Amino acid sequence: MTTEAIAAPEVAAPPAPGEAAVKKTLGLAFWICIGWLVLMVLVAVLAPHLPIPDPKANFTKPGQAGPSHAPSAAHWFGTDKDARDVFSRTVYGARVSLTVGFIAIAFGMLVGGTLGILAGFFRGWCDRIFSFMFLVLLSFPSLVLAIMLTALLDRKLLTISMILGVLAVAPVGRLARATTMQYADREFVMAARSLGAKNTRLIIRELLPNVAIPMSALALLGMAVAIVAEGGLAFLGLSVEHSITWGGMIQLGSDSSRTLQHQPWIAFFPIGVLFLTVFALNFAGDRVRTYFDVKEISL
Amino acid sequence: MAITLLFAVSALTFGAMNVLGDPLFNILGPIARDTSNPKSVKLIEKAKHDYNLDKPLPVRYGLWVTGFVRGDMGVQFSTDGQPPVTELLKERIPRTVTLLLLGQLIAVLVSIPWALISASRADKLVDRISTATTFMLVALPGFALAIILKYLFAIRLGWFPLTYRALDPFKTRLFQMLLPSIVIGLPAAAIYQRLLRTDLITTLQEDFILMARSKGVSKSRILFRHALRSSMFSFITVVGLTTGALIGGSIVVETVFRIPGIGSTLVEAVLRHDFPVVLAIVMIVATTFVLINLLIDVFYSIIDPRVSR
Repeated sequence: MTTEAIAAPEVAAPPAPGEAAVKKTLGLAFWICIGWLVLMVLVAVLAPHLPIPDPKANFTKPGQAGPSHAPSAAHWFGTDKDARDVFSRTVYGARVSLTVGFIAIAFGMLVGGTLGILAGFFRGWCDRIFSFMFLVLLSFPSLVLAIMLTALLDRKLLTISMILGVLAVAPVGRLARATTMQYADREFVMAARSLGAKNTRLIIRELLPNVAIPMSALALLGMAVAIVAEGGLAFLGLSVEHSITWGGMIQLGSDSSRTLQHQPWIAFFPIGVLFLTVFALNFAGDRVRTYFDVKEISL
Repeated sequence: MAITLLFAVSALTFGAMNVLGDPLFNILGPIARDTSNPKSVKLIEKAKHDYNLDKPLPVRYGLWVTGFVRGDMGVQFSTDGQPPVTELLKERIPRTVTLLLLGQLIAVLVSIPWALISASRADKLVDRISTATTFMLVALPGFALAIILKYLFAIRLGWFPLTYRALDPFKTRLFQMLLPSIVIGLPAAAIYQRLLRTDLITTLQEDFILMARSKGVSKSRILFRHALRSSMFSFITVVGLTTGALIGGSIVVETVFRIPGIGSTLVEAVLRHDFPVVLAIVMIVATTFVLINLLIDVFYSIIDPRVSR
């Protein structure tokens, strides 16, 4: 009950004028965003083979007052308080952020999508149980739920990814449920059913392809949410242990006002890269969403 | 419905804390594992008795829930259990609430004029720039915005204090809250602006607006009196729903600006594995969240009789 009434105004809002014109092309800006994301993925994958300084090495120069130097030709983004190269740490940080973002949304899609389709297809008690589960998950502000779970579990890469994946289950599940319900009574499903198709076949062959489109449109947006959440956890010191993360770097560069004032590059370069990545994901996701005309924004 | 939900939420949280976590170890530390030493066995027995750990899980849950409802949230595991969780939170909750209210106030005050300007000049340059700005604000993670604004306005320009000091007089503390509230309010304003703008643009194409215009009603009167009023509906809903996201945001903001509210307390408690504190905060936040949703529903059915089926 609670949710239907709330979701109504958002769903009903038709596209504003101007949005209709750009609807069927993805546009140059979209491809620039995709380009940035591809670059990030490449850089993250190839990090150990790139000609960049060792991210864990100490680059103290003789005769230098502090360990931290401003950006220079040798260290493009400068070095941090332990004299480590910020540029190569940013590159390595992309590995954790992208991995966590990807696994989290994949997990959310798999679990949330399955539960949502089952709920929407079988209705009845199945729907009631799963919908209630989604409601329970949505009763926690997402960062609070993530923090609580990190308190109870360990801080390995996979665990953190799963925790953030759990956050995606409810929104994805709801979308899958709503879309399934929308298609379950359509003629082509009924036709297949009257030809003797079993439920499994109906779900996999008839419904899944239709539900997958709006869900994939949400994948990019969801990945952005997961990356921001991981950054937040890392910033609070609660993300993957013993590895380089953007959030952790930003925390290091801003934990005292003195550092922020005198060595702003330590925090600001990772912030910039994180921002560009999240922006690219959001923007591309939004374009895909309008392209496929998915109305419900639930992430 | 709300009661069932709260029951499920609390049982799940309590269960997770007790099954996945190891309360005994968190109270006693390494002693809890040392069962061969008779001295530590005695300590373990005592702790089990003191913290009700010798009772079965449902009984413990029952005890905890009745305590929670009565306002007794138990004792902290760490720091000798002093002060009790209730006292600790009584001191910290008002700060977070102030922060959230100020943030919402800023968000609403910024977003309404912003949306009106944007909608009345839809697709002109001003509107395009503002849409791009909302996009950036939404894409910028809360902690990043906090650091950027802290750097610009507190460190470079020195307009605002760097941190919060609990002992300062009330007015000074309110001023210290201003920059953190802006950090919370700006992304929310961007969300509200987007929604309100789309809504206003749709409303402005309706027949009754054309009617009002043909009667010679001035443009600003149409915007405020006719268009804005019918958009208030969805606006209030989103303001309510966003509160939950803002609670998450305040955790980060409190950490950056060193405000001892419940957000930063939650993080500290998690790092110390202080489960009673974590449990109490999570439950308070979830309850608030569920109640806000309930209030929106009630509010809806009062304003629009069609909703209550």
